[in-house]
Amino acid sequence: MPSTTYTLPIGPLHVALEEPMYFDIQVEGETVRSVELSAGHVHRGMEALAMQRNYFQNVTLVERVCSLCSNSHPATYCMAVENLSGLIVPERARYLRVIADEVKRIASHLFNVGIMAHLTGFDSLFMHAMEVREIMQDAKEGVYGNRMNLGQCIIGGCRRDIDDSTAPFLLGQLELLKPQLHELYGVFERDPLIRTRTQGIGLLSHAEARRHAVVGPVARASGVAYDLRRKAPYAVYPDLDFEVQTDTKGDVHSRALLRLREAVESVKIVEQCLRQMPGGPINTREVPVIPPGEAVARSEAPRGEVFYYVRSDGTDTPQRLKWRVPTYMNWEALQVMLANCQVADIALIVNSIDPCISCTER
Amino acid sequence: MLPFLKIMLRNLLLGPSTDPFPFAPAKTHKNFRGCAEHDPEKCILCGICRHVCAAGAIQIHPSEDGSGMQYLLWHNSCVFCGMCAHYCPTGALTMSDNWHLAHSGAEMFSNCISDFIPFGACAQCGAKIQPRPQTIIDTLGARSPDRFLLCPQCKRQGIVQNVAQARPTRRQENP
Repeated sequence: MPSTTYTLPIGPLHVALEEPMYFDIQVEGETVRSVELSAGHVHRGMEALAMQRNYFQNVTLVERVCSLCSNSHPATYCMAVENLSGLIVPERARYLRVIADEVKRIASHLFNVGIMAHLTGFDSLFMHAMEVREIMQDAKEGVYGNRMNLGQCIIGGCRRDIDDSTAPFLLGQLELLKPQLHELYGVFERDPLIRTRTQGIGLLSHAEARRHAVVGPVARASGVAYDLRRKAPYAVYPDLDFEVQTDTKGDVHSRALLRLREAVESVKIVEQCLRQMPGGPINTREVPVIPPGEAVARSEAPRGEVFYYVRSDGTDTPQRLKWRVPTYMNWEALQVMLANCQVADIALIVNSIDPCISCTER
Repeated sequence: MLPFLKIMLRNLLLGPSTDPFPFAPAKTHKNFRGCAEHDPEKCILCGICRHVCAAGAIQIHPSEDGSGMQYLLWHNSCVFCGMCAHYCPTGALTMSDNWHLAHSGAEMFSNCISDFIPFGACAQCGAKIQPRPQTIIDTLGARSPDRFLLCPQCKRQGIVQNVAQARPTRRQENP
């Protein structure tokens, strides 16, 4: 009798995966029976590097942990160091940090839904999503000076003000983006190809989402309304009016739509910030004194909660810098999502948690 | 496929959305953080740029004859974060919008900013001090322009003399 089950290795380098990750998949025919994950292929020793660099240099270092949430990392790191040193960030700087975070969130979510279209084989939609994202990339380059690494956060505030020359430009880019985003949402919502490939696969029930303590859009698409911007507000989020997007279906399709809805909310947040932002300094001009002790900070990155821990012994170099990124919580839930799926859907389901392996293994 | 057909046709009519670089110049925003530029006329050798540089791209060595410092910024090590330019107190370091950094392998070890910055001289005793260019005297030295041009030793002596004049010490006699 011929064997019907076999082990299918996927990764660490695989055409369908954006980043190196290794899956040992037990397959029965075309159906996945069980999954084992093995990680550690892009470990760069960044936590050890952070312990050899001073507090200023680490702002640049943590910005390079991950390119797609490259503002969440330095912002959260700076928040942790500010908590430790008792530094009060000026209000305008808090608004500027929110703007940078939300601009990055829009670009990150558009990238993820674009990759989803690519994995369904719908490459013209992928190209279109990337072109819509290009509006935001242009905005980042024009306002901050780089397409990915904004370099906006420093300990004690922000570096680049949004003034009379850049604010109209940023608003103009948002005006360009809004109709495009609306149109894109319609395509992702109604397109028969996208729907047949993504609806009902990679299911994560509410109970399983809670059991695995998933975060970010993965949790929210499974009905867990957990958004740090509301649960543990930081910066100026309490003063901003936006809705936490949730869904109950918990499949690949609902996660993609949820990301697009969040991008729409982010556009609203940036517009509100530009309207409400008070004048004043954009950073504390003094060089911070960092006393011995430890502190934490957390914030809502595009993929979910990112958590920073810093311990200082009073020198100019942190004694320990540790971070937990959202993908670490989400990738365990892949074992549930991938169970009983088709081999062809593996890449789509993996992409639906928006994995950031370089963050997680750093 | 149907909801997308309209978008696809529109994109087709709009033509390519990429810049025809290198046959035409690529669009660059004026805020772009490109290649760093160093103005030796403004540099006061404070070294904050080297302190905040995560990439270790900045080196400051004493020159061979001891008359100044050699300032080096390696473009190939630079990560274009712009921290040096942000913390530079005099505006000597700036990030230009130039991103044309492609070069041949032979230029690998010469692709850097290398500026000689001579030391300044104390206005009183002539000892070597950090450079005191006019732009810095006008900004950082505005509070006490005379003292700003002195070496630490002459500064201390000046302060001691001032204090001594203001508060002549009275010798207390023991009862």
